[in-house]
Amino acid sequence: MAADSRIQRARARARAAKVVIGAGTLLVFGVAFVGAKIHAPGHAKGTAKPLDAPKSFKRAVRRSIAQGGQIAPAVQPPPVATQTS
Amino acid sequence: MTVDRFQAMGCEIVVAGADPAAVAAVFEEWEDAFSLFRPESELSRVNASGAGVLSVSPLFARTLAVALDAAEDTDGLVDPTLCGRRHEVRVAGRLLSRPAGVALDLNGVVKSLAVDAAAELIADEGFVSAGGDIAVRGPVDVALPDGGAIRVVSGGLATSGVASRGRHLVDPRTGEPSDSPWEQVTASGSSCLAADVAAKTAFLLGEDGPAWLDERGIPGRFASLDGSVVESRLWTGALACT
Repeated sequence: MAADSRIQRARARARAAKVVIGAGTLLVFGVAFVGAKIHAPGHAKGTAKPLDAPKSFKRAVRRSIAQGGQIAPAVQPPPVATQTS
Repeated sequence: MTVDRFQAMGCEIVVAGADPAAVAAVFEEWEDAFSLFRPESELSRVNASGAGVLSVSPLFARTLAVALDAAEDTDGLVDPTLCGRRHEVRVAGRLLSRPAGVALDLNGVVKSLAVDAAAELIADEGFVSAGGDIAVRGPVDVALPDGGAIRVVSGGLATSGVASRGRHLVDPRTGEPSDSPWEQVTASGSSCLAADVAAKTAFLLGEDGPAWLDERGIPGRFASLDGSVVESRLWTGALACT
């Protein structure tokens, strides 16, 4: 009976040790994961943004390229001329 | 209105309504970045580099992005690669990616963009012209190449063709100097860039040029090599509306 009791106590200590080691491992992994996400290059802190120019800028430029200007009959001697260059 | 004149980008700059020194500084900045005649310019250094991916200045990246947009809008007729490989050139932020050996030529947009940038310095009313590519703030009367004049109410006006420099415009579809029937094409755009791109494209499209402008609502005037003049529908309509 005494021997069985010692074995049971040893098994209980082993189970407790396994639980502690497992929990510790999970804790270390979790802390390292969060730390890496915050500090290590290559881990995005927020939502990834495209490096391209903003769409609003692209739309404005494209609209500008496609649009005609306003002209009317001349009313006075022109101070400047258009020509091929 | 006081008019100042000076030389920059290999042509005459005419300014009214803005400080000429400040305008000259703008043109110097653009020439310093994009002149193919300056070995130290950013464009010359990019073209001399064998790297496929490069970090470029914000001005360079923005200008190249505009040139690529212009190429899309013109089905490649105003192409910064001059060889139909614009789809292989990409700009993302300040990163430029292009195939090794593909040189860039931004002459199709640089002068007109510099004019638009300089026109931002006009305090009230005035204009900036670079070799005849014009941006206005407030109405400005402008003489046309072969006589006559029009009033540019807003935006810009530009002329493209072979009248002054011969057959220098290369048609990217053939890789050869254009055999357009036009001597010069004048177009009115919402900016000097818009006018310049429209004039170049309409010139290179030849007989299809007037219809291309009409489809996009851009007034244009075509002077042919035989001396006749063709006006786009909007050009005629704008001048008839008094």
